[in-house]
Amino acid sequence: MAILIVDDSADSRALIKRLLEKHGLGDILIAESATDAFALLGLDHPVCLAENIELILMDGVMPGIDGIKACGLIKSHACFKDVPIIVITASDDAETLEKAFAAGAMDFITKPVKQLELKARVNSALNMKHAIDQRKAREAELVKVLEELEGLNRELSRLSSLDGLTGIANRRHFDQIFEMEWRRAIRAGHDLSIVFLDIDFFKYYNDTYGHQEGDDCLKKIAVAAGSVLKRPADLLARYGGEEFVIILPETGVDGAYEVAQQIRSAIEMCNIPHSASQIADHVTVSIGVAGGKISLADKSQELIALADKALYEAKNGGRNQVRVAGAVS
Amino acid sequence: MQTYLDFCKFLVTEASVNNRVVIDSDLEDLIPGFIEKRQEDIQAINAAAATGDYETIINIGHNLKGIGGGYGFDRITKLGAAIEQAGKQQDGDKACELVQVMKTYLEHVEIHYE
Repeated sequence: MAILIVDDSADSRALIKRLLEKHGLGDILIAESATDAFALLGLDHPVCLAENIELILMDGVMPGIDGIKACGLIKSHACFKDVPIIVITASDDAETLEKAFAAGAMDFITKPVKQLELKARVNSALNMKHAIDQRKAREAELVKVLEELEGLNRELSRLSSLDGLTGIANRRHFDQIFEMEWRRAIRAGHDLSIVFLDIDFFKYYNDTYGHQEGDDCLKKIAVAAGSVLKRPADLLARYGGEEFVIILPETGVDGAYEVAQQIRSAIEMCNIPHSASQIADHVTVSIGVAGGKISLADKSQELIALADKALYEAKNGGRNQVRVAGAVS
Repeated sequence: MQTYLDFCKFLVTEASVNNRVVIDSDLEDLIPGFIEKRQEDIQAINAAAATGDYETIINIGHNLKGIGGGYGFDRITKLGAAIEQAGKQQDGDKACELVQVMKTYLEHVEIHYE
């Protein structure tokens, strides 16, 4: 970070440079005119060089563009908003100073330059600049941390709605979406269906192949069932253990039965070996379906209970089949 | 007439001032060059006065006013201000006389570094 001296007088530039160096401020840039200063500051470049400059000492009276006008032009660039400019002027009359401050100067030094005054005013300007830089760095850090936090919250929210094993929605997310779809179905007068799915003889599967294979089987079932669902609003969730549930908005029992049959078939097609099954040599599922028009008088848990009941009927009816429950009410 | 009298008083005051100046030792190496450049200023002002180039007289006077005291030569600041004023008044003779005062001053000044 450098101090830029802009002065048309070589004697003045040499003096100010030497006095700053004496006070340990050795990183100094020199411009002989406002135009030179603009080039050094990169005012005409797409990338401004404000971050290289911590202070500008600007002679007030210069041929061509004078110091006060130059001050205004530099300050009109947003990236130099926080770079202090001290105007050095031989005339300390009120009008000159008013113009300098109006142009964006933060302070002034009268010529001839006195060491003590130069040191004090430069230190004060640098302290202010450092305080601003520190504040900006803290703000940037805060924004970064907030962005990270928002990202983590989003990820946390996503993870909290997923089943860790299968990667599909978990029971908690199902409960939220089901309540939402239930209210939407009542409001819009649409059908709503629920499909319950349970793996046949899954306990025997685990006993035979071990829990690791059991977990793999659950993942495959989730993939197979999910592949049948085509609409964004259809939701497949793990309800618990080897039980899965599907929400089918705007779908009556006939449509839900079709989807359920496709899922049952898709799982059979996976041909996952199951030597301990009493009905086949591969994994099969039993499915219960319930659905229809929903009215205000209905309770959401009743639809779930009906689908669950239909599932048990499928089990009792010999498994590897789909059963449809009666209407909700 | 009054202006002329003031000017004479100014010259008398200037002539009677002690020629000893104390300059910061950190500036010592800059001083020979500084004094050399004033010789150039003296010649330039004389030349400008001869051609009626008052703009140059004003500019040099302004510069002398701004730098003199900074280096420790308060007298040069005062003379510079007077030269600038002479330029503004388009008084080439006065500018030449002031330059002569500065020339004499620089020839006799005793510089002490501290």
